[in-house]
Amino acid sequence: MQLADPNVNIPIILPELIVAVAGVVVMLFDCFFPRRRGITGAMSLIGLAIAAVVLGMMWSTDSGVPAAAWGGMIVHDSLRLSFSFVFLLVSALTVLISTIWVDQEDVPAGEYHALLLFATFGMMLMASGNDLVVIFLGLETLSIATYVMAGLRKSDLRSNESSMKYFILGSLASAFLLYGMALTYGATGSTNLTEIAARVGDPNFPALLLAGAAMMIVGFGFKIAAAPFHVWTPDVYEGAPSPITGFMATGPKAAAFASLVRVFILGFPIAAGAQAAGYLQESWITAVAIMAILTMTVGNVAAIMQDNVKRMLAYSSISHAGYALVGFLGAGMAASAEARDVAVAAVAFYLLTYAVTNLGAFAIITLLGQRNDRRTEFEDFNGIGFKSPLLSFSLSLFMLSLLGLPLTAGFIGKVLVFRPALEAGNTLLTIVVVAAVINTAISAYYYLRLIVVMFFKERTTDWPVPRLTPAFSAVLIITVLAVFYLGIFGNGVIDKFSQPATSTASR
Amino acid sequence: MDLINQNLLTLLILLPVIGAFALVGHQMFWKKEEHLKWVTLFITLAIFLLSLLLLTGSSTASSAGFFFEQNVPWIQAINTNYHVGVDGLSLWLVILTTFIMPIAVLSTWHAVEKRPLAFYVFLLLLQSAMVGVFVSLDLLVFYLFFEASLVPMFFLIGIWGGANRIYAAVKFFIFTAFGSLLMLAAIISLYYLHMQATGVGSFDFVTILNSLQTGALSFAPQTGMLLFLAFALAFSIKVPLFPFHTWLPDAHTEAPTAGSVILAAVLLKMGTYGLMRFNFPLFPDASRELAWIFIILAIIGIIYGALVAMVQPDIKRLVAYSSVAHMGFVILGMFSFTEWGMQGALYQMLNHGISTGALFLLVGFIYERRHTREIGQFGGLAIVMPVYATFFVITAMSSIGLPFLNGFVGEFLIMVGMWKSTVLGITTTVNWNYVATMLAGTGVIFAAVYLLWMIQRVFFGRVTNEKNRALTDLSYREIGLMIPLLFLMVFMGVYPKPFLDRSRESVVAIQERVVRQAGGTIEQAQVPTR
Repeated sequence: MQLADPNVNIPIILPELIVAVAGVVVMLFDCFFPRRRGITGAMSLIGLAIAAVVLGMMWSTDSGVPAAAWGGMIVHDSLRLSFSFVFLLVSALTVLISTIWVDQEDVPAGEYHALLLFATFGMMLMASGNDLVVIFLGLETLSIATYVMAGLRKSDLRSNESSMKYFILGSLASAFLLYGMALTYGATGSTNLTEIAARVGDPNFPALLLAGAAMMIVGFGFKIAAAPFHVWTPDVYEGAPSPITGFMATGPKAAAFASLVRVFILGFPIAAGAQAAGYLQESWITAVAIMAILTMTVGNVAAIMQDNVKRMLAYSSISHAGYALVGFLGAGMAASAEARDVAVAAVAFYLLTYAVTNLGAFAIITLLGQRNDRRTEFEDFNGIGFKSPLLSFSLSLFMLSLLGLPLTAGFIGKVLVFRPALEAGNTLLTIVVVAAVINTAISAYYYLRLIVVMFFKERTTDWPVPRLTPAFSAVLIITVLAVFYLGIFGNGVIDKFSQPATSTASR
Repeated sequence: MDLINQNLLTLLILLPVIGAFALVGHQMFWKKEEHLKWVTLFITLAIFLLSLLLLTGSSTASSAGFFFEQNVPWIQAINTNYHVGVDGLSLWLVILTTFIMPIAVLSTWHAVEKRPLAFYVFLLLLQSAMVGVFVSLDLLVFYLFFEASLVPMFFLIGIWGGANRIYAAVKFFIFTAFGSLLMLAAIISLYYLHMQATGVGSFDFVTILNSLQTGALSFAPQTGMLLFLAFALAFSIKVPLFPFHTWLPDAHTEAPTAGSVILAAVLLKMGTYGLMRFNFPLFPDASRELAWIFIILAIIGIIYGALVAMVQPDIKRLVAYSSVAHMGFVILGMFSFTEWGMQGALYQMLNHGISTGALFLLVGFIYERRHTREIGQFGGLAIVMPVYATFFVITAMSSIGLPFLNGFVGEFLIMVGMWKSTVLGITTTVNWNYVATMLAGTGVIFAAVYLLWMIQRVFFGRVTNEKNRALTDLSYREIGLMIPLLFLMVFMGVYPKPFLDRSRESVVAIQERVVRQAGGTIEQAQVPTR
């Protein structure tokens, strides 16, 4: 047996390396100088910022970074770049949002920041990995860090429950995913997605591959919280500390989408003339289409009935996974490589808009929820509208953006993901889009409800106006501006996301 | 001057937003709440004067009959452009919007004590969205403004509304949002149909229209019908056409006076405007084939609205239901597809804006004094408040359609248009167009009944309720803000020519586009230019 040239290339994994090293440094620093919350937070932010700068430099076409390295295990394309950018942004915002929580509840900040950085490292690996094994490694790094973060509020029963549930169900999902990967390997003889893509065209199509694909859909479906694999979401989201919930609803979800796209869109392409691959594609498209309709509907209908804002946002995050799946389906049915890349960029853009909007909302909920997230029922928001206009109007803006109202980021995101699905001209996908549109109308009810309680109801109990810290103000400014910027001048970002760094088509 | 002319429409959209920021800034630095209304009044008046510049426009300089056109790329990834322009159809609606705003602001002088800053900010944002709706020529941008207009109104009703305001605000939002979301799906589908047919996707109304006219793009009958319905549903809810009208009485009754005035005068017009601007030219075949549905619903709306208005104990609710009837007339005229009917419909949109807006103002005046709107609480007001009574009666007459007042011109044109129409079937025994006209005609009689009966109960006879004896007549401010409206009622009733002349060309172009294809000769003409 001859070993292949490993093709070691450090620059291609530089952003990941920086984040991982920053995590280690934070952890070591915390060992020697415990309880320096501000410093570990600042260190994480600096690490993330450097990674972002390096990532930005890699974006230019003449960065000299190869399209693939490490024996084809790591790839460098627009999918990886745009998603990594989303992850870095999510983590940086989470660090800033957490400052309130970390201060209020005396959280072991060093561990927390290190875990967050490791989770980010895992997410980035999920987007850049071109090998089932690397993707799984990234996913596990992410998941284990997140299990711990969900339970960081050690003395709180709900937080423990959240962590435990997430761990048990998450492990099950990982097992499914791993089994699916193993079956795929068995069917195609490789874990490398480029090689799998070349082999699914083989007319001797083993049914094993179909089973593998199905298992992987279950595994990823759990991570993106798509129905019927969503039942863990509300409990976990409600129990976890608010900043972590915000992170879980945006980061890991986006990461799972990155891998989903990587495996299903790029790994199982429609091989021209191959009956077998066409059959595979048809089956997963149908399955995912049904999942998407189910996800949107279940998420929205359940969200209407919630009395807790965090639970409402948990269900809303389920339905948003459904909307993103609409764009994913559009990418799956794209007629050409260009159309596919545009659709993939649309999904990335959608997740970016969802991330900034949702993190903004969770930031405010963290602040208003106070210690231990006590005040997260709808009633707790009664009549605070004009007591704290800045927070309430920002929260209203985020709700309207989640609803997808024009001039906000959410609107452009929705138009972008619905577009490729309609372009496919496929009856099933058209039905999915109509379902998405009807669901958007349903969602108006519960997003408006928060605005209604804040502005239209009267406050009956005393309500101290929360103090704004500099870090929190920064989050608020960034997210509000981002919602408007992406909604009105989003053009530049969309271009950037869909412009191939090194052509994906040539791989 | 050139700079203003080139950017006039953008200015009209942006100035209210800038004004809103100015208000916030003013409040932050000076903290004088009593200045806010003056600043807002000044801003809206300035915008109104600026909007009069639109009357100097002519279409010679640009394409497709639109003037003051601007076309700047917005989101290139989906080929959508910030494309605005006015023509005869939208010109008067834009001016109506800018005209009604200062009046609405004046009406709030003493009425808004709770959070005036937020109130005026929302009012200005609403104005910006409304102007945007009437001038945008890119479907996505149109949708954007159409939806954006919901949010300020939602807050206006929800915060400053009556007792049942939350229900009304949410109902208003969800009804309208639901319709417009289906329209969004239709808009995106249009983009793809255009892409399939010509290779380039487009949201641009003028581009799509051109492709349709040159035959580069055509819809299968089924597709055209579905797209037409998706657009029409959004607009029918907004109009509101029976049976989608149920949000209207709630919203009107609960909204603060200024909100009701704007809702009646401008927001409802977005629906009828949208039908005429987008549905007819884009889907002429479907428009013709489905016209009977809209005519029947319009007639039901006219009669039903009038009958329900008759039994309302609340004056504001009565006026709200009269809106349903009046907007039914507008729909009827539009779907007659005759020049008379369509011109009449457009004219009636303006009339309804002025007279119903005025009625809501008048209801607001009495509500501010007595804090009730129940007809039973009043009686003999003409003795206590003679000026008020006079204004009310003139406005009601205009709403009923008394000759020499504006309502007459619009309704007359609509009836003649429907009578001459051939859109409904003509058999040897029955001309259904005649039947439709006659049924609608009964609506005019009903309108006289419910309004006159209400006037009789409120104004005439002796003062029955002691509380009414001490009421003061209208103040100079109130008289001042009614005068322009009353003047327009008379002027538009006596001399409609300048209004109709300016809209004629655009309306005829739409009418011909719908009717021409009916004869089977699809003329490969460009969009008619002047």
